[in-house]
Amino acid sequence: MSDKPLASRRDFVMGAATGVLGGALASMGLYSYTPLAYDRMPKQKRTGTEFGAVRSVKITNISETSWFNNAHLVGDLKDAGGLLVDQYTIGWAPFGNGKGPAKSSYDDGIAPIKAMLPNDIEAAWDIQAKRSIHPENPGGFSTLIEVEDLDGSKHKYLLDVGWSYDWMLQSFKREAIDQMLAAGDIEALILTHEHFDHFWGLPVAMKFGPKIPMYIHNGFYKEGKQYIKDSGYKGDPIVIDKELTQIRPGMMAIKFDVPIITRVYGEVSLAFNIKDKGLVLVSGCNHQGILQMTSTAHQKLKYDNDKFFGLYGGLHISPFEDWDPKYDDLVLSLGKWEFEKLGCNHCTGRLTAKKFVEAGYPVIKGSARFRTSTPDYLGNGDTIVFG
Amino acid sequence: MAMDTQDTSYLESRRLVKRWAGPWPALANTAMIAVLFYISWWIFQDPRGLMRMYTPYVGYMVCRWLLIMFIWLAYIFDFWPFRRGWMETTHPVIKGVVLTAASVAVMLVVIEGFFKGVLGNFGIAYFSPERLESLGITDFYAVEYASEAIMMFAAIASWLSPSWVVACENAPWQNLKQPTRGLTVLIVTFFLGMIVYLLTMHSHMAILFYPWQEYTAITAPYWQKFANTVSGNFHIAWIMSCTVVVWVYETIWQRYPFNLIETDWLRRTSAFFGIIVVALCLSFFLFYAQDLVWGINIRGTRREMAPDWRWLHVGEMAIFWLVGVLYLNFYGGNWPTKFSRPVNVLARTVISLAIGVAIYVAYYMTAHLFLGTQKGFSHPQQFPMIPTIWLINLFLINMWFMDGWPGWKAVPKTAEELEEAKSEIVAHDVAWTPKFARGLLFGTVAGAAAYTLVIAVLPWIGTNVTLIR
Repeated sequence: MSDKPLASRRDFVMGAATGVLGGALASMGLYSYTPLAYDRMPKQKRTGTEFGAVRSVKITNISETSWFNNAHLVGDLKDAGGLLVDQYTIGWAPFGNGKGPAKSSYDDGIAPIKAMLPNDIEAAWDIQAKRSIHPENPGGFSTLIEVEDLDGSKHKYLLDVGWSYDWMLQSFKREAIDQMLAAGDIEALILTHEHFDHFWGLPVAMKFGPKIPMYIHNGFYKEGKQYIKDSGYKGDPIVIDKELTQIRPGMMAIKFDVPIITRVYGEVSLAFNIKDKGLVLVSGCNHQGILQMTSTAHQKLKYDNDKFFGLYGGLHISPFEDWDPKYDDLVLSLGKWEFEKLGCNHCTGRLTAKKFVEAGYPVIKGSARFRTSTPDYLGNGDTIVFG
Repeated sequence: MAMDTQDTSYLESRRLVKRWAGPWPALANTAMIAVLFYISWWIFQDPRGLMRMYTPYVGYMVCRWLLIMFIWLAYIFDFWPFRRGWMETTHPVIKGVVLTAASVAVMLVVIEGFFKGVLGNFGIAYFSPERLESLGITDFYAVEYASEAIMMFAAIASWLSPSWVVACENAPWQNLKQPTRGLTVLIVTFFLGMIVYLLTMHSHMAILFYPWQEYTAITAPYWQKFANTVSGNFHIAWIMSCTVVVWVYETIWQRYPFNLIETDWLRRTSAFFGIIVVALCLSFFLFYAQDLVWGINIRGTRREMAPDWRWLHVGEMAIFWLVGVLYLNFYGGNWPTKFSRPVNVLARTVISLAIGVAIYVAYYMTAHLFLGTQKGFSHPQQFPMIPTIWLINLFLINMWFMDGWPGWKAVPKTAEELEEAKSEIVAHDVAWTPKFARGLLFGTVAGAAAYTLVIAVLPWIGTNVTLIR
């Protein structure tokens, strides 16, 4: 038999093999990142979940100063090994063990103070002050939210509980949160995420309201769940495991599954539909990103005027006054959502607030009281009303 | 018959021979590398370990520059100043230790001496942590910013340095002796790298600082409209893809198809720019693939929805492929080898992609359990390029410095083998015929169809497959 057909077939196969690679690569290059490719993608469907409406939302900033010295906090993180180190091992109060950065653990830290929680939090913090690094640095983030229903009735919620027992006790007393908790005036505590500055002050809230209904993200680690018990909580937390959880008419919790620095996972934010105004979004730290939150809300919720009305919270852009060009993407892009009122502070960062103002966004300024370092954003003790 | 191999590079002069039959060499080396990886990861990088360089940029900078050092030593300087006799007679483990130590020493000189000491103090402030700190940046971020800039330079060098050897065949200095040739190629690629850095990364660094440094860099960066971000991660995408494609071209593609070109200058130029074109095709596809799986990116947001992260992830995905490529080439004997060159190339591409995807899936499902990294795809401080490049560095130490010990040993190539290797510069086993042309046309349609199938399946994967719970 002649070799010719075989050689011919071999040539065809070699050409075909070369062509497959070439054709695939050419398609990748000529089609993938073109308007044509994006035109064929299905447009995002808006499911528009109805969740009622409220008349107004008043927010009182109990504390936005999570820490008082940025260099100390970032230095501690650096000494411990960077931003990915497990927060319970860093050696910060209330989980210090006296051995220095990154040598602690939840069990080691909590052991000497466990029996004191939640009633003797002052003594517990004093003990921890001797065992932890930079014990004077912690502050905390905590916010009181007052929702006014359409019938005029008012309902209070506590968003996060800060960090330092000492600072949070002062802050709670300043805003009479201790009395509200003791009287059962606050309907629920919503823990946005497990971070030290939003969560570790829990015993202070438990001292006054140990039975308060409590919402947590389902990404809490076992140490976080144990801390809820060790803080003296008398109940079972409501674990938010769905993307949307309605808290009350006009008030929705939105769950985001995001990895966060210092080994924390997931955050919960809140949405309020203000009657005849539009949507107000409230976050603890907004690790998911503002535009992720607006995009999700836009897609998943139905709200009055189909308009974003207000935004409040830590917006987690430059919490350590660091910067990255991607933050400029946010500054450049936020305008398209046309918020009428922006209340920001905490991990938003002073530089971001400055850039927001320069970009012409309606940032509400603050009074720079109670150790808030700038009037460029809403500070401790300041309030903002949407509606 | 063995012959004098002084005119051939050390890597080309040796043939690696398996010490044992069957899969044992590959298994032994895989086990050794796995152990070395985990021990060295714990010592140097792990956020729970000893030195904790995964801050992340310090560790990122170190692993990238180590890669460059290995490429410089083995590919550009042909192991100069180490003598060929020493290379051929020294035990592989001793060679591994000595050559790695030498690479680390040079790396420290480059990072601490050149970038931080010289460039940072007398040229561009952001290369020096001390300068940044004195300007008011927190010490942690001063180190991170400087490390990011130095690391970005390494990203460019990891493409240009090997490209000059692999694509340009060291031309026009291929006949110079070492160290003249190495120094020449080094200086030229460093010079080109500096230009590429200024064109791609300098603006990224300039907008890190407030206000934007508009007198020293183009702000907003020129690419922002096209890339949908002001972040330099857009350039990381195609530059990292170039790095990957250089090694794909060198290893599993055996320099096909550009080695069909007989005219030297045309082959070299085509290969150099062809690598860039292939890398761009790959980057655009990998970016689009993410949009298909996760939904269209949203400018200004964070994590996996953000365009800047997706461009970065293009580079990350490409590096996962490179792990598959190098593993197949080093430890899988570049299998298969029995078919014609184009069929081998296609088969290896598919196999290495499958390995890359498997490693990608395994990484995101399990890495947080043993590397001390965070769960999830897109933590802004998490770079899978660090462990993957760390692993690649170990591959290179094992195969370049240690001659594949323990599974393989080096034996000198015979004169015939060396002649055959030289003749490989231009491939003669594939020729243009009418049948080849017909096959090419058929294959091109099939390739486009395969692409269409993949982009049709990706949205389904996005909806139905969950890697991280």
